[in-house]
Amino acid sequence: MSDVQLYLLEADATDKTECKRIATQTATRLENRNLKLIDFVTSLEPHINDKDNSRIRANTVSYLADVIAALPTKVLSVQERKLLCDFILGRLEGDLEGVGASARALIALENLGKWDKTTAQKVIRAFVDNTHPLRQFKLQTERYAVVQLIDLLLAKYRDALRELHDEDDTFMPTFISYWEGEKDPRNLMILFSLLQVPMTEWDIHSHAQDMFDSVFNYFPITFKPPPDDPYGITSQDLKNRLRDCIAANSEFAPYAFPQLLDKLDSTSMNTKRDVLQAIQACITSYEANTLNLYSVTLWDALKFEILNVQEEDLAKEALKTLALIAAKFSDYGEGPLNAYLRPVIKECNEHLEDAPTKQSEAAGRILRAVASSAPLAADKLSKGVLPMMFALYSGSESITKRRGLLEAFNELTSAHIDLIQRDPSAKCEALKAFADDALNAMIRALISAPKAEVSFRIVSLAGVAQLVSALGVLSDKQIEQAVDTVTNMVLHEKVQGHGDISASAIKALSNIAKSAPQAVRDRSIPAFMVELPDVPDVQSIPTTVLEAFAQLATERQIFETVVLRLKNKLRVARHQGASLEYQQALLYAILYAFTFGDPPLEDGVIRSAYYADYAEPLIADFVKASSTGLDLVAIDVVGRVANIVLRQQSIHFQSQIYQKDLEWLSSSAAGTNPAGPQRAQLTPFLLYYYAAIRPEVVEGHDIIRLLKAQANAALGDGPSDLPRMTTLRLLSLLINKFANPKAMQTILTETGLEVESLLGAVSQPHTVQVAFAVVKGLLIQGKAGALTTRYLDALLALLSTCDKTTARQFATLLSPDDILSKQNHCLVSGLYKQKIFNQAIPSITESVRTADPQQKPAYLIALSSLLRWLPYSVLEPALASLTPPLLQTLDLADPADQEVKAAALIIFESALMHDPGTLAEHTSSLVTRVLNSTAAWANAADVRAKALQCLALAPRQLKREAVVPYRRQVVKRLLACLDDKKRTVRLEAVKCRTAWLGLDEGVEDDE
Amino acid sequence: MDNKDNVNPTIINPSDLPSRRRSAPTTKRVGLFDSLAPAYPSLAEPLSSPEASEASLSDDEEAEEIDEQEVYDLISTISDPEHPLSLGSLGVVKLEDIAILPPTSARSRISTVTVLVTPTTSACSLTTVIGLGVKVRLVNALPPRFRIDVRIKPGTSSTAGEVNKQLGDKERVAAAMENKSLVNVVNQMLATCE
Repeated sequence: MSDVQLYLLEADATDKTECKRIATQTATRLENRNLKLIDFVTSLEPHINDKDNSRIRANTVSYLADVIAALPTKVLSVQERKLLCDFILGRLEGDLEGVGASARALIALENLGKWDKTTAQKVIRAFVDNTHPLRQFKLQTERYAVVQLIDLLLAKYRDALRELHDEDDTFMPTFISYWEGEKDPRNLMILFSLLQVPMTEWDIHSHAQDMFDSVFNYFPITFKPPPDDPYGITSQDLKNRLRDCIAANSEFAPYAFPQLLDKLDSTSMNTKRDVLQAIQACITSYEANTLNLYSVTLWDALKFEILNVQEEDLAKEALKTLALIAAKFSDYGEGPLNAYLRPVIKECNEHLEDAPTKQSEAAGRILRAVASSAPLAADKLSKGVLPMMFALYSGSESITKRRGLLEAFNELTSAHIDLIQRDPSAKCEALKAFADDALNAMIRALISAPKAEVSFRIVSLAGVAQLVSALGVLSDKQIEQAVDTVTNMVLHEKVQGHGDISASAIKALSNIAKSAPQAVRDRSIPAFMVELPDVPDVQSIPTTVLEAFAQLATERQIFETVVLRLKNKLRVARHQGASLEYQQALLYAILYAFTFGDPPLEDGVIRSAYYADYAEPLIADFVKASSTGLDLVAIDVVGRVANIVLRQQSIHFQSQIYQKDLEWLSSSAAGTNPAGPQRAQLTPFLLYYYAAIRPEVVEGHDIIRLLKAQANAALGDGPSDLPRMTTLRLLSLLINKFANPKAMQTILTETGLEVESLLGAVSQPHTVQVAFAVVKGLLIQGKAGALTTRYLDALLALLSTCDKTTARQFATLLSPDDILSKQNHCLVSGLYKQKIFNQAIPSITESVRTADPQQKPAYLIALSSLLRWLPYSVLEPALASLTPPLLQTLDLADPADQEVKAAALIIFESALMHDPGTLAEHTSSLVTRVLNSTAAWANAADVRAKALQCLALAPRQLKREAVVPYRRQVVKRLLACLDDKKRTVRLEAVKCRTAWLGLDEGVEDDE
Repeated sequence: MDNKDNVNPTIINPSDLPSRRRSAPTTKRVGLFDSLAPAYPSLAEPLSSPEASEASLSDDEEAEEIDEQEVYDLISTISDPEHPLSLGSLGVVKLEDIAILPPTSARSRISTVTVLVTPTTSACSLTTVIGLGVKVRLVNALPPRFRIDVRIKPGTSSTAGEVNKQLGDKERVAAAMENKSLVNVVNQMLATCE
């Protein structure tokens, strides 16, 4: 059998590999000259003209296409390719079978060698004339090949096709109608793309409407891709391409704008979204003189989206659209801009007259959006609106009205700030002309308006800060006036309760400091210093002033001034013997500045010089102090300041510091310096200091010495609870960070911290705590896996005999400690929570079932203590087995178990949220027990509140028929909670009861 | 709700609405630096982390009585049936128009909550519905030892007498709540309540 016959046998199979193989085989023979092209074509003759079987004709063309596609270049001569091309096109005149294959064959031919102009024109004519309209071919794949071919022609032979259009006026209508009725998204994707060539490059004036309509018929796109769509075309892809078509040519404007605005009245929010996006695209790409004809029409339609907001995102898009129009005209000429802004100004002024209303607020938004489009628009709007605004302002005594007007004014100022940020040279003359009026009005409001007029004063405050931020609008003198006013408010306004806006005032001052740091340095800071005496009375420490002052450090440009002044003040206060409380307050202020402020950086980290300037002198203070005159708070605070400055510094820098400090550190740690501070007193400092130091900086034997000393301190009887807690944290930190995991057991044994021996002897409460601290350090580190597992088992074994206090210790294992963090160079394993969950939880859950009643609470407590710190995703898979013990936890009645109950309730809350199905079988038990947890006599307020939150989820998350039986009981018992002593509990009770009462409505809806 | 009585009512700025935080000067000011003070988890209760609440069963039972502000907070978040705004921001319910009267005799436990409602316009056709919404909300949210008395503020509505009669009559309120479309409106109003 010949190749063509073989091919035809296979052609209707779904698997096309065999077809391809046969075609490739033919191609190879052609290439090797074993088969002449003429013989090849002749062999097709009987099949390609088979009068009785159209299927065979189509398949033969397909064979031809496959063979050509399989041919390498240079096999066919120019003449041969031309011959084939004519052959295929000639067929189209008489026979439309295999049109897709014909297109494929042509694409393959073109691939073998570029066509000349005439061939390109001939190809497109042959298709448009003979296969019109394309929709007559039912198979998407056939149309797809044609669309691809024409796309190729439009991409590569633009001149040839344009000439065709220029010479023949009848081509375009046929070309447009050729595509009518195409519905397949794959074809449309290419169609929308190829149509853009004539739309943007050809002179289509006389066909604009037809051309526009041919694409706008598809608007709005409502296509939803089928699930598991193999082609991955989204409705957004189609929307984007269609939008580009609509916006392709200014000639479309007379059709596009009216039809788009018509669709803007649609009730579908999605349609409106598409309309707004399309309008934006049109505005961007149409010519300005075309847009000029429609600008007012657009304004008249778009404004309603802002004045009567249906959906906030639509309002935002409408605002953006309005701004785009103004931006377009600002580069074009004053005439169109004036014509566009005139109705905008008129409308805004009308609404401002009624301020404050929703409409006046909308007017403010419009002003903001349009003005921030370009300086020219901002200038014209300001000229159009501000005279009216301030006439209204001075003409009205109503504070509410004035507030509404200032709100609109602030929007305009924000627009100018945007402009200035984009281009610092932007001129704001029109705003400047009213700056004095505005500033005076707002300063007057801040000084003399009744303090209870909170919104009015807050708007004025924001306005003052904004005017300062609009660089170049205020004169230096006006800025000073603004700074003085706000500084005065911060320092001297003492309003309590309603009317207290000091927080806003402080924020405004830090904002002002960003734009006018010099004025704040020159005027505010001296004023603050006046209010901070060297030695205040014990009764009257100026805490609020200090708080405000420290918050100024959040502005980088004055950070340095703030901390320097604080340091000097502390120096003087100490020197003159000010009270300890005042010294502490100053220290807190310094710490606040370093913690929450914005210190200047150097190579991306906080300036290392701050260590010598701030940390060292503060440390020196207590190193020199005698052990009696030591302020423990100072030690802690200084430790944290040192930590913040030191921890990001390089190894080199840290080594220098560490070597310098080592001497006094080790002398006081060993207790060999009787005059200096004692070991225990220094522990808080050591904790933060060693947290900052990189592991590479410290020698192994130093750590062993330190660990020994701390172990002795923790195991000894001496110190009270507070220092001991710090010592335990330090132990966890040192083990986590500095102890070599490979030699861990040796190190622990050497320092007396080996867990099994700690627990082995008669275990004192202290030794148990130390054991937990050691395991915590190891667990988070995650390096000494086997050892950690063994120790953890040892801790779990305690539960079979221990009391509740020991069981509660399990909470310390996972409780977050910010000292053990990566910023502090600790080793934090990503999996330690999973590890402890996998090792501890199954055995505890098992023991709960088998333990004798006396020991059961210990297991329950340990379980909740661990679970409360685990993310829900970790415990979710085990929820089914965890539910029974957690339910039993809610029965614990000891007042000391409140935290455990709260932890269990939080887990139930998450479970109800995410996996109500798992809880369904326990509905009865869950509702009853949670309800019991709302009772005031046995539960703390936060447990009651949490129980009510949890209970409120039940009617929503569990099946209706499962909870309805409890409705009566719950609603009744919640009456008691409505009268709870605590307000927060009552609030939750109201929400919970509403949720359960709501169950009733469901019944009525069903009927 | 197509025929709006008052298309563009005055809206009170949220920062001017009474709130507990702003109205009552706090007895104990929370200082900015308080969070910076050295904190240690206590050993007796290791579950409470440094920042965890200090509440425990013993010291939290300082009673907080139900006061006017609390009643205000319950009803100010109800939505107006014709504007997508809260009754508080429209000035329909005001803190100064809420009164809690203690029990009239030593033997009675029943206190009375009086709420005066101010319609946005004197001809507001939805006054009754608003009053009903306020009443339903309070009946559901306050303990049973309170008697709820919702009225229209004198001189603010042309239909005050009729509306007050309806709201004061237990039977008529109960009958109204049998009306399904009315229940739906009320539920929609209450949907925005926390």
